[in-house]
Amino acid sequence: MKNTDNRKYIIALFFVLVSLIFIVRLFYMQVVDDKWKERAAQISENKITTYPARGIVYDRNGKKLIANEVYYDIHVIPNQTDNPDSVALAKLLDISLEEYTKQMNKARDYSKRKPSELARQIPPDEFSGIALELYKYPGFYEVERTLRIYPKSIGSHVLGYMAEVDSSDIKKDAYYKSGDLIGKSGIERSYEEVLRGKKGVKYYLQDAIGLETARYEEGKYDTVAVQGKDISLTIDADLQEYGERLMQNKRGAIVAIEPKSGEILTMISSPSYDPNMLVGRRLGKNYSKLEEDTLVPLYNRATNARYNPGSTFKLLMALIGLQEEVITENTSLPCRKELLGCHNHPTARSVSDAVKMSCNPYFYVVTRKIIQQGKYKSHFKDAAVGLDIWADYLHSFGLGVGLHTDFPSVSTGVIPTTEFYNKEFPTKTNPYGEYAWAFSTIYSNSIGQGEVELTPVELANVAVVMANRGWYYYPHFIKEIQDAEIPEIYKKKQQAKVSPENFEPVVEGMWRVVHESGGTARRAKVDSLDICGKTGTTENFKTYDGRRRQLKDHSIFIAFAPKDDPKIAISVYIENAGFGGTWAAPIASLMIEKYINGEISDSRKEQRILDANLLPIEIVK
Amino acid sequence: MRGKSEKIWADIDWTLIIIYLLIVTLGVSNIYSATYNPEHPGLFDLKTEHGKQIIWIGISIFLGLIILFLEGSFIRKSSYWIYGIVMFLLVAVLFTDPINGARSWFSIGSFGIQPSELGKLAACLALSAHLSTITVLRTRSKSGFGMFQLKNLFHTHWKTMAILATPAVLVLLQPDAGTFIVFTSFILVLYREGFAGNTLLFLLIAVIIAVITLVVADNSFILPVLKIKMGGKFGMLLALLGMGLIFFLLIRYFVLKRNRPPLYRAMIGSLIVAILFVNFIEWGYSTFLKEHQKERIDLVLGKIEDPDGKGYNINRAKAAIGSGGFAGKGYRQATLANASQKHVPMQSTDFIFCTWSEERGFIGSLALVLLYTFLLIKILSIAERQRSKFTRIFAYCVAGIIFYHFMINVGMAIGLAPVIGIPLPLFSYGGSQVLAFSLLIFILIKLDSERKIVLQ
Repeated sequence: MKNTDNRKYIIALFFVLVSLIFIVRLFYMQVVDDKWKERAAQISENKITTYPARGIVYDRNGKKLIANEVYYDIHVIPNQTDNPDSVALAKLLDISLEEYTKQMNKARDYSKRKPSELARQIPPDEFSGIALELYKYPGFYEVERTLRIYPKSIGSHVLGYMAEVDSSDIKKDAYYKSGDLIGKSGIERSYEEVLRGKKGVKYYLQDAIGLETARYEEGKYDTVAVQGKDISLTIDADLQEYGERLMQNKRGAIVAIEPKSGEILTMISSPSYDPNMLVGRRLGKNYSKLEEDTLVPLYNRATNARYNPGSTFKLLMALIGLQEEVITENTSLPCRKELLGCHNHPTARSVSDAVKMSCNPYFYVVTRKIIQQGKYKSHFKDAAVGLDIWADYLHSFGLGVGLHTDFPSVSTGVIPTTEFYNKEFPTKTNPYGEYAWAFSTIYSNSIGQGEVELTPVELANVAVVMANRGWYYYPHFIKEIQDAEIPEIYKKKQQAKVSPENFEPVVEGMWRVVHESGGTARRAKVDSLDICGKTGTTENFKTYDGRRRQLKDHSIFIAFAPKDDPKIAISVYIENAGFGGTWAAPIASLMIEKYINGEISDSRKEQRILDANLLPIEIVK
Repeated sequence: MRGKSEKIWADIDWTLIIIYLLIVTLGVSNIYSATYNPEHPGLFDLKTEHGKQIIWIGISIFLGLIILFLEGSFIRKSSYWIYGIVMFLLVAVLFTDPINGARSWFSIGSFGIQPSELGKLAACLALSAHLSTITVLRTRSKSGFGMFQLKNLFHTHWKTMAILATPAVLVLLQPDAGTFIVFTSFILVLYREGFAGNTLLFLLIAVIIAVITLVVADNSFILPVLKIKMGGKFGMLLALLGMGLIFFLLIRYFVLKRNRPPLYRAMIGSLIVAILFVNFIEWGYSTFLKEHQKERIDLVLGKIEDPDGKGYNINRAKAAIGSGGFAGKGYRQATLANASQKHVPMQSTDFIFCTWSEERGFIGSLALVLLYTFLLIKILSIAERQRSKFTRIFAYCVAGIIFYHFMINVGMAIGLAPVIGIPLPLFSYGGSQVLAFSLLIFILIKLDSERKIVLQ
C-alpha cells in the first residue's frame, strides 16, 4: 500500500493545478487583457446613422431651385431569393450582367440573411417601370433614399451637384463617412455645412445575425438628426431660365447683379447642362460624358474664365484719368490712328464722346497720361510708379484682387502691376526686369487688350460700380438662411477710389452708346429703360496645327439700367461671335428688359438671338 | 447500536449535500438568465429550460432520497444489473431516429433522456464492483518489458477493459465523441488503485509529444547553422534522436558500468516507441479525424485563427467571458451570452460558463472554479476515509468524471481545450446529466454514510 498511497496527493495536486491554470487564465482574460472587451463590443454593439433631410434651396422669389426627392436602392436578401433569371433581372434594373454578378456575390459573401445593396439611387421615373416587375423576384426589394432634384432644370453651374465623398473630403472633415454625399460644386458646395444639417446616431445591441435587440444604455448616447437649413438665393429663376434660353448655341457667360445690394440675379455659363443629369446613379455615366464634351459644359466660364475686357475697360481709363486730373470731362483728343488702329468716327471732343464712339487713340493717350505722369526724370521709373497708381484704382473696383463671392473656386482676373512686369513679363523665366519697360511696352492695356484679364463676374462688378457711381457690395448668391444671418461681409459697402462726380460724364457716354446715332450699341436700346452700356470686341488667338491663328473676335457688353435708378447691372461675354454691339449688346438688353419689364417688346430682336448659332469657331487669319 | 433510521442521517456528509445544492441552484438561476424569454418569465414555466431543469432536479433529489433509504449493500449487489440495463439502453438508442446527426436520445414528449449519461454511472458501479473483488499484482518481477508481462496484464485486466470499453464504444457509435472521451477519466481510478502505475506518466509524455507533433507537423524549419530546410516531423524525429544521444552520453559518463545495459535497452526501446508514436499521430491525424475535428484541434493549438468562421463559437465564448471584467455586467445583463442576442451558441448547455462569467465577472468565475475544486477535493477526502474498497473506487470514479467534465467544459470556454460538447456537471441545462450526476453523488453519500458499519 505504501507504494500507491502517495498517489492520492498526486491526484489532488493535479486537480488543484488545473484549477489554478483556469484561474490564472480567467484573471488574464477578464481583468488584464482588454482585447476581449473590444471584441465583445465589436460583436454585440452597433450604431446606425440617421440622415437628416438636406435644406431646400429657393430663388429670390421663393421658387424652388433644389428640392429633395425619393430615389430607390434595390436590396437583396440572398437566402430569400429563388434562383432568379440574372439576365432578365439585370436588364430590368438596367445594370450590366457583370455588375449584377459582382454585387450578388458580394451580398452572399457578406451575409445570406442580411440585406445588401444590389443597385442604387434609381431615379423615380426609372423606378416606376421597375416596380411593376420587381414583385416577381422574392428577396429583392426597394429601399427609399432622399436625393436632390432640380425642379426647374436650370442654373446647373450656380447650384452645383452632389456626389459621394472621396478620401480627401473625409480627411478634411471627420463628419463624413465613406458613402456619404457631399456638395461638390456650386451652392451645394459653398453652403454644404448649412444645407447638410447634422447626422444623428442611434446605438443598439445586436444579435448574432446583426438585428437590433435593444437600445444601448437606454439611448443615453443617441443623438437626433438635425434637419438641414433652407436657404434662399439671390438668383431670379425666371431671368436665369430666360438667359439660358438666349445663350443656347453660344459660348460665353452672363452675370447680372442688383447694383444696390450686390445680389447676383443671374449667372450663366454656356454651354450648360440639366443639373438633374448629375443625380443618383446617372451621375457617373453623365459626368464622364460631360467631361469628354469638347465644349467643356462643366467649365464655369462666368466665374473661372479670364478674358480681355476689351473696350469696356475704357470706362475705367476715363474714370481714373478724371480722378487723377490728367484730363477733364471736356478734354478733346484727335483720333490719331498711328498710335492705335480705330474705326472712322468724328473727333471725340469730350470724355463722353470718346466713350460713345469707343475711340482707341483717345484712351491710349488718357492711359499714357495716367501712367507716364512725368513726375520722375527716368521714363522707366515714371511708368513703374504710374502703373501702380493705375493698378491701385482698378483694385479698388474689386478687379484682380478677389470679390469674395460665396462660391467655390472663383478665379480672379489679372490687373498687371509693376511687380508683374518686372518679374513675370513677357515670361516668368526671362522677364524684362526693373526699369526696363515703359508705357510703350504695355499700352495695349489701355483698350482692354494685352495683359489685363477679367472674369465675367468682375466685368459685371464694373457695371455695378458704374451704376452706383462709385461703390459696390461684394457680389453674392445668398439672400436668406433659415434661422441665421447672411455673412457680414456682404452687408459692407465697398468704395471705389473715384469720386461720384467723375462718374457723370462717363455714365453720360454709356447712355449715348445705346441711344445716340454713332453709338456702338444701338441694338441695345429699349424705349423708356435708359440702358447705359459699353461694348467691347477683343481679338483672340489660338494655336491650331502648330500655327497661331486669329479667331473671330469675342463680343462683349456691359450695361446697367435704368440710368438714374439702376435695378440691374450686367456683363455679357460671347466667345468668337464678332462685334460687341452685334451680339452681346442685344442679349444684355433683352435680359434687362426681361428683368425690369417682365416681357419683351421687340420679339424680332429676341427671335434673332434665339435663332443664332455662334458655336462653330471661325478662323479669321 | 443506533436505530436504523437514525443511522441514515447520522453519518451523512452534509458538506457534500450543501455543495450539491449550491451548484444546482446557481445553475438554475444562471440558466434562467441565459435563456430568459420575456414571454415566459415564470420560474416554474415548463416550456422554459430553467423550468425543465427544476423538474429534473426535483426528480433527481427524489431519487436521491430513495437511494438514501436503500441499503448500501443492495446498491453494490445491483451494480452489474444496473450496468446490464444501461448497456441494453445504449444498444437500444442506436435504433432511434437521429437528432442532429446522432442517435443519443430517448424522447418522451418534450423531455428527452440521454442513456450515455447513465452509461457513466453504470460504468462507475460495475468498475467499482469488479476492482473491489480482485487483489492487485503489485510486485514487479523485473524491470523491462516481456511477453510474459503483457500476457499477465491482459489476464488481470480483460474484465476491466470490457467493462469500460463496452459503454465507450456504444457511445462512440451514436456518435458522441465528448462522452467517449470522458470514459478515459477512469485511468485516474486505475492509477489510484495501482493498476496503471506508469500509464499516467506515459500518457502525459504521449500527450506532450502528440501536441508538439501536431503543432509542427505542417511547418518546415530551416536549420540555423546548416541552412537545411526540413519538415516539422523530420525535425521532431531529429530532436528525439538528439535527446537519445544526450541520454546515452549521460548514462555513459554518470552511471556505473554494470547498471548500464538495462538503461540502454530502456532508452532504445523508448526512442523506438516515441518515433513510432510521432508517425502514428501524424498518420492518425490525417487519416482518422474528420475535417471539423481537425479544425477544432488546430484552433486550440493556435495553428489557425478564424474568428468568424470555424473559430466562431470559441471566439464569441471568449469575448463573452473576457468582457465580463472584474465584477461582471450584472445578473441578466449579459450582452453576448444571452438568449436574445445568441452571439454565444449553446449558452445554456455547453457554453453555460460564458453567461456566468460575463454576468459575474472574474469574481464569479473564481467562485465557481473554487466551488468545483472544493467539490473534487471533498470527494477525494471522502474516498480516502473509506474502509470499503468499493466505496473508495466509486468515489474516485465520481471525482474523475466530474473533473473531466469540469476541465474540458471550462477549458473549452476559455480556449484551453478543444471544443468538445460536454456539459458542466449539475450546472448546465440538461436533464440526463443532472440526473446522472445527482445519482452519482447521492449513491456516494449513501455509501459514505455507511463507512462506519461496513467492513469489507
